[in-house]
Amino acid sequence: MASVNKLGRHQARMAYLFITPTMLLFAVFMVIPVVMALYLSFTNYDVLSSHDWVGLDNYRRLAGDTLLWQTFLNVMYYAVVFVPLNLMISLLLAMLLNKRKAGVKLFRTFYYLPTLTSAVAAATVWIWMLHPEYGLINGLLGYFGMTGPAWVSQTETAMLSIIVMTLWQSVGSNMIIYLAGLQGVPDYLYESARLDGASRFACFRYITWPQLRPTTFLVSVMAIIGALQLFDQAFVLTQGGPANVTKTPVYLIYQQGFNQLQMGYASAQAFVLAIAILVFSIISMRLTKAEEPIV
Amino acid sequence: MRKWLIMMLTVVMFGGLLAGCGGSGGSSSGGDNGDNGKSGGKVQLTFWGDWGGEGQKQFETMVDAFNKSQDRIEVKYMLQQDMVTKFLTAATSGGAPDILFWDRWRTSLYAPKNVLRPIDEYITRDGLNPDDFYEESLKELTHDGKLYGLPLTVDARALFYNKKMFADAGLQPPTTWDELEQAAKTLTKWNGSKLEVAGFSMGDPGLFNMYLQQAGGQMLTEDGKTNFNNEQGKQVLEFWQRLLNEDKVYKIGFEEGLGEGNDAFVTGKVAMLYTGPWMMSTYNKYGKDLDYGIVPPPSGPNGDQGSVMGGFGLVIPQGSKHPEEAWEFIKWWTANKDNALLWAKTSLNMPGFKPALADPFFTEDPLWKPFTETLEFAKTRPTHPGYSVMEENAVIPNLELFMQNKQSLDDTLKKAQEQGDKLLADNASVE
Repeated sequence: MASVNKLGRHQARMAYLFITPTMLLFAVFMVIPVVMALYLSFTNYDVLSSHDWVGLDNYRRLAGDTLLWQTFLNVMYYAVVFVPLNLMISLLLAMLLNKRKAGVKLFRTFYYLPTLTSAVAAATVWIWMLHPEYGLINGLLGYFGMTGPAWVSQTETAMLSIIVMTLWQSVGSNMIIYLAGLQGVPDYLYESARLDGASRFACFRYITWPQLRPTTFLVSVMAIIGALQLFDQAFVLTQGGPANVTKTPVYLIYQQGFNQLQMGYASAQAFVLAIAILVFSIISMRLTKAEEPIV
Repeated sequence: MRKWLIMMLTVVMFGGLLAGCGGSGGSSSGGDNGDNGKSGGKVQLTFWGDWGGEGQKQFETMVDAFNKSQDRIEVKYMLQQDMVTKFLTAATSGGAPDILFWDRWRTSLYAPKNVLRPIDEYITRDGLNPDDFYEESLKELTHDGKLYGLPLTVDARALFYNKKMFADAGLQPPTTWDELEQAAKTLTKWNGSKLEVAGFSMGDPGLFNMYLQQAGGQMLTEDGKTNFNNEQGKQVLEFWQRLLNEDKVYKIGFEEGLGEGNDAFVTGKVAMLYTGPWMMSTYNKYGKDLDYGIVPPPSGPNGDQGSVMGGFGLVIPQGSKHPEEAWEFIKWWTANKDNALLWAKTSLNMPGFKPALADPFFTEDPLWKPFTETLEFAKTRPTHPGYSVMEENAVIPNLELFMQNKQSLDDTLKKAQEQGDKLLADNASVE
């Protein structure tokens, strides 16, 4: 008995030793900065000189910051359209390419390729494709006798342009995750379902979808975080314009902190964003709550 | 044995962690300041800038010339991506450079924070004449009565026009808003709903400041409030409305993302536009068949002229250990006719030093002359620390709605004023 305890203690010690480097990194680069930022959001820190406690002043100012709330609405709109589409398209692609046929690997590569392009390079190409007069997209519409809009310059279509571009960039990597998930679904479930005469749709509805819940949870949370932190694609494609419809909270936080030197207020803004991400992630958790695995 | 291995691994990982922390700030001081900035008897200075590529070569040309011109000081140019952010951390934790390439409009934000060194004493001591520089450019480098640097470049927008199109249509370059409108109307070509040639580029609502000056207005009042919700602001927007909706000389989004090689002016899809000398190298490079002329911006309804002066300066951070030597370098580059001219010819920028601009290189070249004329009346942006956010987040967005016919003229001015005043108040510097 004593020897077992001794072994347990030894193992515990070793375990702590092993996780120490990781935990230290986590503390130094995650925990401490977050605590610091929370503290700074109650000060008028300007990076250079002043650093005084101002209590809730920054948070009071947030209430009247109409532009910040507008950028929140912008990314919410973006998230509500982008996340479901992202899930659907990447799952569809994964199911399409989850076959053992010649050429499937080639297609997988093709769909994954856009993920490898940098946001700036992709945006440059997309701006060109979305050009009102010489762009590929309006060129195609022109064949059908339609006059396409000035995609990135009009308030109605600017955010849609960003959604289309970011979808093109992100479905590839989510497709890979879904492919891995699909290959983890045991074959005997499908076999027994087919013996019972289940339709293809029923197979998807009662086997594939429930089995993929953990995968969907992962993909959707990552997509939500990415959506709420949208910055570079929006910045390159539209510079936040037209009429502020594609400005995002991250852009404002950067501007407030590094251009206007109001790091205290920027920290308060960042905390509101963090809380928003938390809330959305919890909602997503509830929606895709993993049930007991059907094995 | 195994335990020992684990310990070793842990130590190595820690070492890596610590090195990771140390590496962030260490490179900025360059290590050559270790021996009090002297090596081989010369004072070593670091000069930070964020121009890479061609710009880096141009800077290095000047730095080499300075290093050769004397044997006491050695300057080294260091390209910094995200220079301002790096300067923020360097200013507080040591490792600040000796000379900093400086976007002048930032002065009103940084000067109150006491991270830049005033240079008034040097100016008086060395007997420099402030009249050798544009008053406006010095104003932009001044805060609270103290001067923080000298202007290295000046620029302003003027009207570029396609000479061939003008000749074909028998037109003279415009000198007033009315002539500009007539010319734009004449040169615009539509093919059904497709715009083939835009008579005049209206793609940049950020030029509102310039138009407002031409209408006799100013962006801000003396006490730091917006000043465009008035007759002058209205005249500008009425002019834009005519050009866009009645004369239809432009289509929103027409020049979006065309890139340098397909620039609408280069390919003859835009007949006239407002831009600055920085575009000339692109036009000369890609516009083999492009024959263009430049005139100062046409004057507004009451004959007022206006353009916005921009440009860069050189400043000395408070953290510099060798301000005297840094000043020598700045003076050599910005306040000496020959060197300012060498800089101009090297980089095709207009130097901030007026005697250099009086050189035939500028006065006898039809492409430079309109700019020197424009600089005589061009005004810098107001030196209010909240000005740029006000313009970007309040004025331009409302103008964009207006230009897309989604907001009335009166609402546009009213909202831009309300939102603008709020942003100005929120971002007025806290001293």
